Amino acid sequence: MKNGNKCPITIVTGFLGSGKTTLLGNMLRGGLLENVSVIINEYGQVGLDHRLIRRIEERTTLLSGGCVCCNRRDDLISELLDMLNSHQSGNLPLDRVIVETTGLADPAPILFSITTHPVLTHHYSVDMVVTCLDAINGGMHLANNPESIKQVATADKIIITKTDISQHEATHHLIHHIRHINPSARVLTSANGHVSERLFDPDDSMTLPSASDILDKLEQAGSSWDSGHATNIRSMAVQFEEPLDWLAFGIWLSMLLQKHGEKIFRIKGIVDVGEDGPIVINGVQHIIHPPRHLEDWRDYEARNSQIVFIMRDIEPFQIMDSLTAFQNLIGAEPKIQEINLNPFE
Amino acid sequence: MCILCGELVINVHWTDQKNHDREYGNIVVAGESQRDRVRDRLRRVSFVNRILSFYGLDLRDWGGSKYILSDKKGSSKVVNDLGDMWQEAQKLTDNRLDPLDPGLLSHLRV
Repeated sequence: MKNGNKCPITIVTGFLGSGKTTLLGNMLRGGLLENVSVIINEYGQVGLDHRLIRRIEERTTLLSGGCVCCNRRDDLISELLDMLNSHQSGNLPLDRVIVETTGLADPAPILFSITTHPVLTHHYSVDMVVTCLDAINGGMHLANNPESIKQVATADKIIITKTDISQHEATHHLIHHIRHINPSARVLTSANGHVSERLFDPDDSMTLPSASDILDKLEQAGSSWDSGHATNIRSMAVQFEEPLDWLAFGIWLSMLLQKHGEKIFRIKGIVDVGEDGPIVINGVQHIIHPPRHLEDWRDYEARNSQIVFIMRDIEPFQIMDSLTAFQNLIGAEPKIQEINLNPFE
Repeated sequence: MCILCGELVINVHWTDQKNHDREYGNIVVAGESQRDRVRDRLRRVSFVNRILSFYGLDLRDWGGSKYILSDKKGSSKVVNDLGDMWQEAQKLTDNRLDPLDPGLLSHLRV
């Protein structure tokens, strides 16, 4: 297994008919994925190589007092444990696991199952959530299905599929809309199930465009998106000049997620805590991935904190007000270098 | 494993991960980062108490391994980490804890 001793898991999600299985099928046939096991949640029509694929029936245990995202996916847990067993007894070479969810699935319970299971948490880590979005019907899915918005909001990478049969302009429009919902995700396109670049580039999932980068891109794009859709979804990118206090930040974020976790789709960013390297945080609803403590600042040019929030029914100023008040616990008001309340309009 | 109560602690809360990594990441020198860990815990308790005082609650460190959360009516709970603590605090206050509450924020700014 790569990546230290933990096997990376990629979650592939996307609305019904958005081309998840076609994409996976192509990648498997193209020999792009060696030593990869795939777990599929539903019966697809496209024949995939059966040796590599395991199909599971969705079984979910609702934990007592748990919210929607804190369900345990027993089906997935037992499958992952099985795989681990075969790998450790030498029967299954395993570099990566891909979990394909059903079109209506919410990726949060999968993250929750893996990060809280006493065995799985030490052997697997979720390295990215990939969301497929159909270039033709994507806009409609986003407008009509809250599941679809959530899938986009929780994604690290978004693949626009079926660009071969859609209008170029429509694709462009959709990309704009996606950036509005999730500024932190990387958007790729795929034509006829062939993705334009390598999907599993190492470490790429954690990089975050700086707030000014995002703005630049938008100016280049030049057109404005009619934000009549999904107006209660807000995203913002904040950049802090001075280090944040990690203890105060942890207290604030854990309290915020405890109360409002269901409304916070995504938190992603790098936090300067005044040490040799930054801390990378990545959270989906109530679930925070174990924060990664980087050794140094080599990969980032500017030494500052950048955090992206994607939320529903919470105004950006409320978040900022709260964060600065909590940092005030250590007696210093943090200086905000840049804040984009509406980076995409 | 908590040696006080025999409870198996299997999850490291994400707010404790930084110290946990430092301690177990590479070569472990026994007790090397204990001083930092204890200092962080005590600072955390004092920060959290400024928030909790708004709701009439109080947190204490217990032997460097757990926390005790209590209210002014004499109820108290033993909690493992911040995740646990907020949950119990919500129960003790009828779900009143809200980090976006302007009242709390002005209390913190004083």
